[in-house]
Amino acid sequence: MAELRRILHVEDDPSIQAVTKLALEAIGGYQVLSCSSGAQALEEVEAFAPDFILLDVMMPGMDGPQTLLNLRERVDLERIPVTFMTAKVQPGEIEHLRKLGARDVIIKPFDPMQLAEQIRAIWLADRY
Amino acid sequence: MELPQADPASTLSMTPVRELSRLAALLRYEILDTPEESAFDDFTELAARLCETPIALISLVDDRRQWFKSRVGLEVSETPREISFCTYTILGEEIFEVPDALQDPRFCHNPLVVGDPHIRFYAGTPLTSPDGYNLGTLCVIDREPRRLSAEQRDTLERLGRQVIRLFEQHLLAHRYAEQAALQQAMLDSASSAVLVTRPDGVVTSVNPTAERMLGHSEQELVGHQLTSALFRREALQRRATLLSNELQTPIEPDFAVLTAPLHRGRREMSEWRLRHRSGADVPVLVGVTAIHDEQEELRGYLVNAYDLAYQEQLQLRLQQIAAQVPGMLFQFHWRPDGASCFPYVSEGVEQIYGLSPGQLAGSFAPIIARVYALDRSALLGSIREAAAELAPWHIEHRVEHPRKGLIWVEARATPLQQVDGSVLWHGFVTDITVRKAEQLELERQQEMNRRLLEALSEAVIACDADGCLTLFNEKAKQWHGTDVAPVPPDEWPTRYQLYHPDGVTLLRPEEIPLLRALHGEHVCDHEMVLLGQGEPRHVLSNADPLYTSDGQPMGAVAVLHDITERKRIERLQREFISTVSHELRTPLTSITGALGLICSNVMGEVPEAMHELLDIAQQNSQRLNALIDDLLDMDKLHAGKMRFALLRQPLQPQLELALRSNRNYAEQHGVVLQLGTCPAVTVEIDAMRLQQVLSNLLSNAAKFSPAGEQVELSATLSDGRVRISVRDRGPGISADFRERVFQKFAQADSSDSRQQGGTGLGLAISKELIERMGGQIGFESEPGHGACFWFELPSEGLAKESP
Repeated sequence: MAELRRILHVEDDPSIQAVTKLALEAIGGYQVLSCSSGAQALEEVEAFAPDFILLDVMMPGMDGPQTLLNLRERVDLERIPVTFMTAKVQPGEIEHLRKLGARDVIIKPFDPMQLAEQIRAIWLADRY
Repeated sequence: MELPQADPASTLSMTPVRELSRLAALLRYEILDTPEESAFDDFTELAARLCETPIALISLVDDRRQWFKSRVGLEVSETPREISFCTYTILGEEIFEVPDALQDPRFCHNPLVVGDPHIRFYAGTPLTSPDGYNLGTLCVIDREPRRLSAEQRDTLERLGRQVIRLFEQHLLAHRYAEQAALQQAMLDSASSAVLVTRPDGVVTSVNPTAERMLGHSEQELVGHQLTSALFRREALQRRATLLSNELQTPIEPDFAVLTAPLHRGRREMSEWRLRHRSGADVPVLVGVTAIHDEQEELRGYLVNAYDLAYQEQLQLRLQQIAAQVPGMLFQFHWRPDGASCFPYVSEGVEQIYGLSPGQLAGSFAPIIARVYALDRSALLGSIREAAAELAPWHIEHRVEHPRKGLIWVEARATPLQQVDGSVLWHGFVTDITVRKAEQLELERQQEMNRRLLEALSEAVIACDADGCLTLFNEKAKQWHGTDVAPVPPDEWPTRYQLYHPDGVTLLRPEEIPLLRALHGEHVCDHEMVLLGQGEPRHVLSNADPLYTSDGQPMGAVAVLHDITERKRIERLQREFISTVSHELRTPLTSITGALGLICSNVMGEVPEAMHELLDIAQQNSQRLNALIDDLLDMDKLHAGKMRFALLRQPLQPQLELALRSNRNYAEQHGVVLQLGTCPAVTVEIDAMRLQQVLSNLLSNAAKFSPAGEQVELSATLSDGRVRISVRDRGPGISADFRERVFQKFAQADSSDSRQQGGTGLGLAISKELIERMGGQIGFESEPGHGACFWFELPSEGLAKESP
């Protein structure tokens, strides 16, 4: 059984990017690659070979859902769970994101102390 | 000796028609069987003498006999026609002579020849009427045969013609006598007084009515001048002056006063007061007729006087009635030549025109002078028009009354065409100044109301009790894109483009505020959309039924207030809040995340001295998060975007969950949460939203309770509804805050928000959520004795759910 080690994080806001990276690295002990845009993520994803992808929904240019669709062209998303991070939304919207292929949706603002554990739970749920 | 029998039927007949006409001519003279008259006897005597015969006759032949009007030398007064000699005479035009009857086969067996009076000689001349009928004969008879000399024949013919003239005179005299008798009878029985005068006015005869009416006998009047005997000098003088002016020629105040108009071709009646023998006045209407003879020579005058005493009584009665009528009654006479007068005007003319009836006796002009100058031509025009069309006349005009000032009057009359072409009007005039003032005031008010309606920034629409639209003010026309039209209410939504606030669904007729109001409903702030101008216009409609002063329905009115701009601003506000909230959340996510990491000592041990400051920062960042959550909830609720996943479920587990979720928070405030009673019921709710409300109420209660106190959550049942209460022992709600408790951003005082860390939106959101789930929210509180916040939801017993 594979281990969860490498997380690709796509987020245009540098502060959230930093806090998220810190929370996952310091508390979860994961290796995190932060990308500032969907385009950058597409460039880096194959080389980085992540075990998990964390995607912001609202981004300038290529947004989260579009990035997800493009990522699917490059890597096997059956093997790599994708989870969105978004501000509080309607239940219908979460449904929509799941249909696109997201394993789950994490609501912002997140608790940095809980984030690593949340992601691990999603990853594990996907395994069994 | 055989002589042929005389046979008048076969040999002596004329055509039956001619014979009938002859008999009619004879009867017309009405002379048959009249007594003997010497005038006729003179002729028979003369004929017998000149012809030297013993017998002479004037014989008239009717259908069965000859009858003798005059006879000399004969006893019988008539003989049968069959045996008469005269029957032969009237067949010809000349003298018929029989020299010797015994030698004449027509007469030799005649009884008058063979018997008494033994006629041997006969000569007769026909009596021919001016129209050519032989009525009979003048004949001479002898008992000896003989012949008349030529001179005698001529004499007989001349005498015959004289006899016919006598017949004519006889007839005329008879006619005159008849006519005279008829005239006398007419005069005697006439109901008016009749006085006949000579051309110079001297009375020649009077009838019995005149004697009775005037108290004079015929003898007392005949031979006297009519006017000086019966008429008053002053009246004659007045009339003479009037006529002199009218006829443009001097008229003497005597009999000429009565005859002058007649000689100008005017047959008129005039009113007079004649002198009774007793000295009293007799009111009469006098008419004069000239009497001419056959040569058109003036022979005299017939003066008729009709008693007016009865009419005067009627006049008095009319006057008394008219005095009771407001305004004036009148009779107005309009001649084709433009001359006009008032045969009758009631005293009320003073009230209307400030004139007396006497001032109007001769002329219409005084009235025209009183009519307000600007109204004169319209008044005269309307009279002319009504006279031409003989249509009822009605006009309002102003009068410059000498006493009352400018007044409004209303005149009505009906024209009647007279035989002479003139028009007689009967009508009345009333003072309508007060009514007119009220009417003008009413019109002014209506104008004011109209302008007011047009000046409104609201649309105003009204309909009558039958649901017919009666009014769109200017704004209503503009917004609906059309004016009122007689269409049934069913068609209003399509015709006037009435939609629900979504701008897509047409209103059903029963949803239209105006119609609801027409059915008695008071409609308040009903939101709808008008698409009459293309762009959707959002309006709030307020509608009310209208009633008359005695409570009868008279329709409804709706006032539409345009809220399109308000809606737009609200939408912009919401978008702004939504955008700002989202934008705030991003930096806040980093702040809370960073603070969380620091406080958890993951990044290294935080010095003790910094803990308090970091806690403050963390708490406030969480508060900001809560505020943003609340703002976004409020926005969703207002925009109608909040979705509710309603599910029927037992109540108790929800209360237990809420207690668990909020226990930590309460403990931070040193407060204990307790669950009280809870009936076994189910409620149809969105569990997440119910938890949101319960958290809000419980955290509020915990916040405001003194440390060490308890907060109790409990539920009770009444009337199919369950009431969930949260009771605290805090300071309670102050009186001045009660009304604002559920308003947005309401807090007891501004310091509270900092002290207690609320957003001021919690209760407002709770109220919306509970109401969306079909419930009600409220509170009870006495300052100083804590507060109890509650909400009620429709509920059902658990037993029904699990039978």
